[in-house]
Amino acid sequence: MTRSGHRPYTSPHEVTAAWSALTDDRVVRVVVDAAGGDHAPDEVVKGVCEAVCPQLRVVLVGDEERIRPLLPGDAPYLSVVHAPEAIGYHEEPATAARTKTSSSIVVGLKLVHAGEADAFVSAGNTGAVVAASVLYVRRIRGVQRPAICTIMPCMPAPVAFLDVGANAEVRPEYLRQFAIMGQAFAREVMGIETPSVGLLSIGEEPTKGTPEVIEAHRMIAADEHIGFYGNIEGRDIMNRLVDVVVTDGFTGNVALKTIEGSAKAILGALRATIDVSPATKLGGLLLRRELLVLKDALDPEEFGGALLVGMNAPVVIAHGNSRARGIAQAVRMARRGSVSDLLPTIARELGTHGGTV
Amino acid sequence: MTRQEVFEHVKGILVETLSVDEEKVTMEARFQEDLETDSLDLVELVMTMEEKFGIKISDEEAAEIKTVANAVDFVMAQANA
Repeated sequence: MTRSGHRPYTSPHEVTAAWSALTDDRVVRVVVDAAGGDHAPDEVVKGVCEAVCPQLRVVLVGDEERIRPLLPGDAPYLSVVHAPEAIGYHEEPATAARTKTSSSIVVGLKLVHAGEADAFVSAGNTGAVVAASVLYVRRIRGVQRPAICTIMPCMPAPVAFLDVGANAEVRPEYLRQFAIMGQAFAREVMGIETPSVGLLSIGEEPTKGTPEVIEAHRMIAADEHIGFYGNIEGRDIMNRLVDVVVTDGFTGNVALKTIEGSAKAILGALRATIDVSPATKLGGLLLRRELLVLKDALDPEEFGGALLVGMNAPVVIAHGNSRARGIAQAVRMARRGSVSDLLPTIARELGTHGGTV
Repeated sequence: MTRQEVFEHVKGILVETLSVDEEKVTMEARFQEDLETDSLDLVELVMTMEEKFGIKISDEEAAEIKTVANAVDFVMAQANA
């Protein structure tokens, strides 16, 4: 058990710098959904251009006629695969994933399944990406449910948080698996050597929470492969008590959006406070550099998106409102997911000492 | 394939792909109520069945598959068609 509240400050840049560092020569082929997101395809193509390098090939999937004119003249690491359909935000995920076979999401994931690419990035309909990933890329054997694992920009260091939306309802065994996958993610993608894992509940005691959470606590505590801290409460997420926070997709999504909204409100209030008088404005000016560092540290675009853990290939779900920077970071996260030991670790740990399969 | 053989295949898909408890899989078992599968599980089952048995299942037909017996009978009907 480790208490990580008193660590020196780790900026989000320190985590993501490792994604851009090309210490590995392996070429990773990432499929990017050019039809997904509020600013597709323009910002998606821009972001992809920002990320590509000799160790990274990108296949853009979407409406070819719209994508081609956006490409730079000389783009040896980029290719385009035509997909005439797109899955909208309001479509029912499982149905769309099954029936819209010429949509960018399905075409892209099929390329991964066929071995023509290694990872997938989309800023489109999250539910459809999850459903299509399950149907076409498939889960790692032994994984009962994939989970969406995001990185929260906290002080003094970012924290891994899952599930933030793939499974509204969970069984205790799913939560145990999320703990293992979140721990592997923190180690392999975020570079935290021995991550501590907390189970989100309504009290520290093992007996607190819903019957599922109480049973999950027992199972996680009994699993010697998990660096389990114990239960944590909502306030402990941003206080950075643990490296990995585990919960079900409903609670996780509510908590994530609550934190994002609160952060925005507080920054707005701070801005209003600075604007009160000439004296406070001067104070704001004096604090400017530090405030920018803080703003940077809390910028969700820095991490690009969340990783759907438990699949046979890295699938990165970027923010729907991603700009070029967010897409570039999402592509780098996908590359990191591919060259790291994330997938083999999950396969090893869930294949050998767990799973009811 | 006999009805029993098809059942064994469907059972295999449920246990291996959808992590359903083996002892719960009977002919009478209802997917939602007894096997606790969700809508995505059912789509996954339908697509895996299409692959495994080389058949096509339309969305309307898939909506009618509510029990393990429904699934087995559907495969039998297609195979004999």
